[in-house]
Amino acid sequence: MRVPLSWLREYIELPTSDVGEIAHAFDMLGHGVEDVLHLGVGWTDVRIGRVERIEAHPDADQVRITHVDLGDGALHQIICGAWNFDAGAVVPVAVPGAVLPGGLEIGERKIRGVMSRGMICSERELGIGDVHEGIMVLGDDVAAGGLGSPLAEVIDLPDVVFDLEVTNNRPDAMGMVGVARELAAWFEVPYRWPTIALEATGGPPTTQVLISAPDGCNRFVARELRGLTVGPSPLWMRERLRRAGVRAISNVVDVTNYVMLELGHPLHAFDVDQIAGNMLDVRWAEEGEAIVTLDGVTRSLTPRDLVIVDADGPTSLAAVMGGARSEVEPVTVNVLMEAASWNPATVMYTSRRHDLRSEASARFERGVDPNLAPDANTRASALLAEIGGGAEVSDLIDVVANEVTPWDITLPIREVQRLLDDRFTVEASAAALRRLELEVEVEGDTLRVVVPTFRPDLTRGADLIEELARLADYDSFAATVPTGPVGGLTAEQRRTRHLQDVLRGLGLHQVINLPFVSHGELAAFAEGQVEGVVSVRNPLRDDQAKLRQSLLPGLVRNARDNFNRGADQVAVFEIGRTFHARPWGEDPRVPDQPVRVGVLVAGRFGNERIGRHRTDADAATALGIVGALGEAMGVVIERRQATPAGFHPTRAAQLTIDGRRVGIAGELHPEMAARFDIEGRAGVVELEVAPLVAERPPHQMTAISGYPHSDYDLSFDLPAGVTADRLVAVTSGASDLVEEARVFDEYRPAGPTRSLAITYRLRAADRTLASDEIEAARQAMIQAAGGLGATLRGSANKEDE
Amino acid sequence: MQEGIDVEQSAEPAETTANLAAPMDLRSSLAELRAVTIERLQDATTLEELALIETEVLGSESPIAVARRGLGSMPSEERRDAGRAINEVAKELANAVGDRRVALRAAVQREQIAAEAFDVTLDYERLPLGSLHLVQQVIDEVSDIFVGLGYKVAEGPEAELAWYNFDALNTPPDHPGRLESDTMYLDYGDAADEMLMRAHTSPIQARYMETHDPPVYIVAPGRAYRNDTIDATHLPVFHQIEGLAVDENITFSDLKGTLAEFARQYFGPETEVRMRPHYFPFTEPSAELDVSCFSCGGGSSSCRVCKGVGWLEMLGCGMVDPNVFVAVGYDPDAVTGFAFGMGVERLAMVRHGIDSMRIFVDNDVRFLAQYPGF
Repeated sequence: MRVPLSWLREYIELPTSDVGEIAHAFDMLGHGVEDVLHLGVGWTDVRIGRVERIEAHPDADQVRITHVDLGDGALHQIICGAWNFDAGAVVPVAVPGAVLPGGLEIGERKIRGVMSRGMICSERELGIGDVHEGIMVLGDDVAAGGLGSPLAEVIDLPDVVFDLEVTNNRPDAMGMVGVARELAAWFEVPYRWPTIALEATGGPPTTQVLISAPDGCNRFVARELRGLTVGPSPLWMRERLRRAGVRAISNVVDVTNYVMLELGHPLHAFDVDQIAGNMLDVRWAEEGEAIVTLDGVTRSLTPRDLVIVDADGPTSLAAVMGGARSEVEPVTVNVLMEAASWNPATVMYTSRRHDLRSEASARFERGVDPNLAPDANTRASALLAEIGGGAEVSDLIDVVANEVTPWDITLPIREVQRLLDDRFTVEASAAALRRLELEVEVEGDTLRVVVPTFRPDLTRGADLIEELARLADYDSFAATVPTGPVGGLTAEQRRTRHLQDVLRGLGLHQVINLPFVSHGELAAFAEGQVEGVVSVRNPLRDDQAKLRQSLLPGLVRNARDNFNRGADQVAVFEIGRTFHARPWGEDPRVPDQPVRVGVLVAGRFGNERIGRHRTDADAATALGIVGALGEAMGVVIERRQATPAGFHPTRAAQLTIDGRRVGIAGELHPEMAARFDIEGRAGVVELEVAPLVAERPPHQMTAISGYPHSDYDLSFDLPAGVTADRLVAVTSGASDLVEEARVFDEYRPAGPTRSLAITYRLRAADRTLASDEIEAARQAMIQAAGGLGATLRGSANKEDE
Repeated sequence: MQEGIDVEQSAEPAETTANLAAPMDLRSSLAELRAVTIERLQDATTLEELALIETEVLGSESPIAVARRGLGSMPSEERRDAGRAINEVAKELANAVGDRRVALRAAVQREQIAAEAFDVTLDYERLPLGSLHLVQQVIDEVSDIFVGLGYKVAEGPEAELAWYNFDALNTPPDHPGRLESDTMYLDYGDAADEMLMRAHTSPIQARYMETHDPPVYIVAPGRAYRNDTIDATHLPVFHQIEGLAVDENITFSDLKGTLAEFARQYFGPETEVRMRPHYFPFTEPSAELDVSCFSCGGGSSSCRVCKGVGWLEMLGCGMVDPNVFVAVGYDPDAVTGFAFGMGVERLAMVRHGIDSMRIFVDNDVRFLAQYPGF
């Protein structure tokens, strides 16, 4: 909410004029200052002028030549590029010698051969408003103060505007008077209300008001004003509205806005003569009903929308926007001024559903005090009667559907001290709450507090404790640090850190993807039909309406995006949840959402030596990463040939830990790579995180032998279907002397067989190996391989090397 | 490389250059051999050449060896002197050969070293270096700060019951945050158990309190979801770190002191904090926490980081609302507590000079690689 200091000062004499101190007070009261605008500073010599004549520029069609009366008996020729005014307009003129904000000096200069002596200014050029479409057109009444008078004097500048962020629970602070009340409590000074008085001259109203929906409207207060003249409101009101960020429209509309800004209670004016049947009723809309609102839009209604109807149906979308049918027009002479108290939830629903959020809805959503309605109405009626040409004002219509009265809160002082500190004695606390206009009685160690109806946010002791803390100034509290009894990460959390460090160490960059995918992306990596999908009911985009079941669509997108940006390598991983429509183990009410780790590597990868041929990532890289992860996490990850969806059909593995399927690894299917603009191959891995990071017993050291080793290689021809890990396991298992066995070459001639070359290292824990035991081991291995159908291809004994 | 040549065994014995057999000539012959050899050693430029000379002069067929073998046939009165003379020269020449070998080896090595010069400004070998996402780094760092204060790290589901996201946290039924324009709802499960993508990490608190008795000291990092389209200041998925301390005597001052300690550890030891009243449904009193600008310290009107304000709005916090305690089965008369929630992206943006939230979800490796870690 924008609070012009000049306006605020009508209700309070502040003990300081220091803008920083006032802003600090707002901040510490909880009405955060988002911005401080200094109006009318940084310029000099801007005067009131009246454009007497306008003519075209002979050599320029974007500008016009104006002749402006500045009250000195001469007409001043000024070239102006704005077109939003005609002859007779009263305007602000920066005369030669004037300086505008930003240091622009105004002089006399020729524009396309025509002399211009000064400049007609816009609000923005003067730094007093946001409007820059056209110059600032002042009302004719401004000229009454004398043409040539300094603008700053006429409209009371400079001024300061505080832009406050009033929290959602504070309807009372949404008006100048309420803000003054807050500052009064802070600075401990008095504040005052505007005069709320009216002489009713028009007798009983002609309009009958009903509330048929008491659950939507607590109170409906109204008055009729008859015989008024719709026209512009006076300069002071227009200027205040402008500084508060509200556009002046007409005296009737301006008064409703003015009182809303002043007291925090929105009002609405109907043209009485357009109310059919002399009756208004507040009721829930019926299904299929519609209303044309002030903005000319036809809006279809539901039974959750509250409307004000007359004999012809809806004529106002209650609290949100008036209807076009009863809108106040320039010809209107009789007005019904409404101040009603609406159900905040209803206003919230309707204003959002119709996208009609306004200054009024912002107040009603917070819960405007129903007992403020009569005063707001009286204030508005009196103002309109005054500036609207002496209208007659009817008696008050006041329909109360639900009476709201002050309520009590009992607050033992120890509750305050328990949460705050010992400074909050009974006496000090009572005094502080009284500054907020709460009635407080002290009974021993307990405060009995009566809360006025303008503070709906105060319903419990806890709410009062906040008020006490607030008025004590949050800055005044000591700072102490309690420490928890036992801190630390769980084993799983520590191992997850280790997992991400390992992935980083392998040269992978961690990414974070949104978990929303399209059906097509789900299908790309789904085995068979897409099943078990959790959908977003109100997605950001229709093609992002499903929750991911795999991390891979996101990683593939990352690869595509980075290649499109010119990367020649993408090596990324993500640790995040996937979502599956089956009960989650820890709470069956919510869907299963396991944490997974996904990896994608494409393009060059690994150590790079200049001059050496680069290696591009592929399925081997993915399998290598799986191997490294298993080793680093101390987990055996078994790999079995598989054909998971989206993967290269002969280059993919299913991964298991302790016999349980935990993921897949391999190469992206060439079709999938093409679909995502990935040139070449991409190695991908997706694994459940839980089995990787599950707590494990501490590793027990394997004794390191001090005896010499003996190495030899064996090369086997393998029949189809025998996997490398099987051959290695079987041959290594043939001798208990094998310390290490590693495949170092694969030879694949055409045909079903292939050969693998394995290097073995033998070593005993307790002796130097004798050549006959080495030979025995070798023979045992060859024999064991034979059991798999593998035959020795050749061997080279390296032990003598 | 030539240094391996074994001078004892290689090279055929060369012809002798002098006959040292005659005793009368012995001394002069030795002198001549010495002089000639010293000169030849000086002229030798390779280790091979040196080896040849060594064999010739000191080998088994060398004049010196021959002379030694001739000693036996000498008269005994001459033998001693002759033997001494031979040994002297032999020793001297052996030393000279040795010296020359050292010199030649050094020269060879110098040459080799010169030939294999590296341009150390060139990255001959690049090792792969990955990174943790900056958001992850901040989460880990902040978690560690609180672990140091005795906190545990709690986690919870992202697809969450509306009850934990709103009701358990004292959010009124008509709170705008519940609207579909703000929160993402899921089609899943019982209609009675309305399901959503959690809008903050606070449901983790509620779940934790449900399953753990006080005292509770936890931080809960994680993703949060809002129905916002991506722009410089909004992400539909962002990260928060929630904190909760519940104990018998937790006060407002404890909240202030804890966050001040956090701010000093995260932003630097000179950092100050300021709390301003605010409104959140799940805390009372509530506050927003500002930290003094770590860039200008609050002293510069032209500061790029704080825009001259001197303070940076950092997080929301407050004392746990008694209704929250009731919702999770705690006795609000027995315990008090504080809670806070901070935006991880904001913590990262402020400290690392990032001006748009978009970058966090672009997953552009040029950005990711800028933050290899602490």
